[in-house]
Amino acid sequence: MSKPRVAIFDFACCEGCQLQIVNLEEEILNLIDVVDVVEWREAMSEQSHEYDIAIIEGSITREEDAKRLEVIRSRAKILIALGACATMGGLNKLKNNFDDLNEVRECVYGKDGQMPHLNTFKTKACDEVVEVDFKIHGCPIDAAEFAQIIRSLLVGKTPFVPDYPVCVECKANENICRYEYDEVCLGPIIRAGCNAPCPAAGRECFGCRGLVDNPNVEAAQEVMDKYNLTVDDLKQKLVLFNSK
Amino acid sequence: MSVSTVTKEQFKSFVAALVNSDQKVVGVQAKDDKFAFGELTDADALRLDYDVTILPPKKYVLPQKETLMNFEVAGAAKTVCPDEKMVLLGVHPYDMVAINQMDELFSQGEYDTHYMNRRDNITIIVCDVVTPSENVFASSMNTATCDSGYDILLTDIGDRFVVEAATEKGEALVKTINGAKEAAAADTDKRKAVQEKNIASLNKHTLECKPSDLPDLLEKAYDHPVWEEKAKLCYSCGSCNQVCPTCYCFDVQDEVNWDLKTGSRCRSWDGCLLSNFATVAGNHNFRENRADRFRHRLYRKGKYVPGKIDGQIACVGCGRCISACTSKIANPVEIYNTLMEKA
Ligand code: SF4
Ligand code: SF4
Ligand code: SF4
Ligand code: SF4
Ligand code: SF4
Repeated sequence: MSKPRVAIFDFACCEGCQLQIVNLEEEILNLIDVVDVVEWREAMSEQSHEYDIAIIEGSITREEDAKRLEVIRSRAKILIALGACATMGGLNKLKNNFDDLNEVRECVYGKDGQMPHLNTFKTKACDEVVEVDFKIHGCPIDAAEFAQIIRSLLVGKTPFVPDYPVCVECKANENICRYEYDEVCLGPIIRAGCNAPCPAAGRECFGCRGLVDNPNVEAAQEVMDKYNLTVDDLKQKLVLFNSK
Repeated sequence: MSVSTVTKEQFKSFVAALVNSDQKVVGVQAKDDKFAFGELTDADALRLDYDVTILPPKKYVLPQKETLMNFEVAGAAKTVCPDEKMVLLGVHPYDMVAINQMDELFSQGEYDTHYMNRRDNITIIVCDVVTPSENVFASSMNTATCDSGYDILLTDIGDRFVVEAATEKGEALVKTINGAKEAAAADTDKRKAVQEKNIASLNKHTLECKPSDLPDLLEKAYDHPVWEEKAKLCYSCGSCNQVCPTCYCFDVQDEVNWDLKTGSRCRSWDGCLLSNFATVAGNHNFRENRADRFRHRLYRKGKYVPGKIDGQIACVGCGRCISACTSKIANPVEIYNTLMEKA
């Protein structure tokens, strides 16, 4: 049986998620033992139009990027969104909070803001443009989880991605809950799978893996009251990765 | 079996010797301003005056994640059997009661080799509570003291410990404590006073019925409005399950290795509050509503599990779920008492 052909593409992002793949180090050799990487700008110069699995990093912010993604989709049997930028727009969606995108351009790029290649629309996650088969969450992704998902797909098994909140892993690791210190933590509504590194380091969860499928957002008001916090405190945290 | 007394210094020397032996020693240590069980490498770090640990000691009999077997995708499989010996130092009586319950549950019906092997390899030293935690209600659950399951029972009587060996294993360990003296009647009286104080004072919440009344109370409470009311604020985060010494549900997942030919089957803690806990083949979830899942935990503790282990109530009053619940809705006493009000 020939090895599945994999291509990795990047759009608007910092390429930190690709770096996580590179960080697999020895495991990279295991990876290329079982798949043929046919296109990967960050690691090789060849390009190919024939692949089974397309891995997409980054968000879609320009008309030409949307078209390019559609072409990739039409060529790939399986399309995977890699990292928060691709799965939900992530940090790039911060700009969607502004009504006037021209203002954003000028603020970021100054007088160069009107150059045509900076002609962007509101940030979209991959699945707002094409159908996405699997999402690998996180900003950046977790290399071990990436490896686990790829191996599952290769043996034809649906990869396990938690639909429970970060608190599960946080508690299993015996971290001290940020709410004990009356701090806002997004853990109760954010999808686990990262093994809760932020609370382990004494910080709150910033929500980089996105909301669980059915978050109890209605509870927020009353729960925040119990800690003398407000829903605005919570929303301010959510804006970073979970803007619309 | 023997009952002796040792000075605190003598006990510390004993722990130091244990730590320096090739025996694995796990004990309670400070973790910032909380406490946790962890491998002990320094006798000075042991904190037998702790109030409660973030996670119960169940993590040593039923770890957060463990490999059950290694397999070949083609079919063959080999069970992984845990065989590490350890001394578990400083288990509180309510947590001991919880382990005793799990021992019964994992050995009845389908004998769980993984759990039981771990359990058989552990020597447990229980210590009576010195500092009550903010939410403990062991007094209400008759778990402020315990009378079985441990190898050694330790009670702090001020300047010394009373040390009771309860098993051969325990006796052998106690024999290694230099300077242990047979306990005098005055010492065992002091121990009794400590235990009686705990029986009365580990009561930050008071259950307004006998624990043994809970199954009947719940029998009539299925449609009580309290489930909806509380569950409105529930995040389905499972914290109340994770920290509970008597929650023992697990999920089993297969992971495949890079050769794509071999893999391992692992189990990890699950929780009945999590939204997909009751999802079965075909994506059918028979407890889709938060309130159903919220109710289920309280029924497990007060009715379902007792039905399997001769009526023992599967809440030992450790209070951990009360502290761990972000929404502050998990207090079993508050809920059971509410059911009584309107029943
Ligand atoms: S998800 Fe984060 S790490 Fe990954 S590309 Fe986007 S910004 Fe970079
Ligand atoms: S620190 Fe955050 S993630 Fe951890 S248990 Fe508390 S709320 Fe949940
Ligand atoms: S704890 Fe939260 S912010 Fe940190 S990695 Fe996990 S999901 Fe992202
Ligand atoms: S239900 Fe709560 S109080 Fe009762 S044993 Fe479990 S964690 Fe402790
Ligand atoms: S800890 Fe509280 S919010 Fe979380 S699942 Fe349990 S009851 Fe619900």
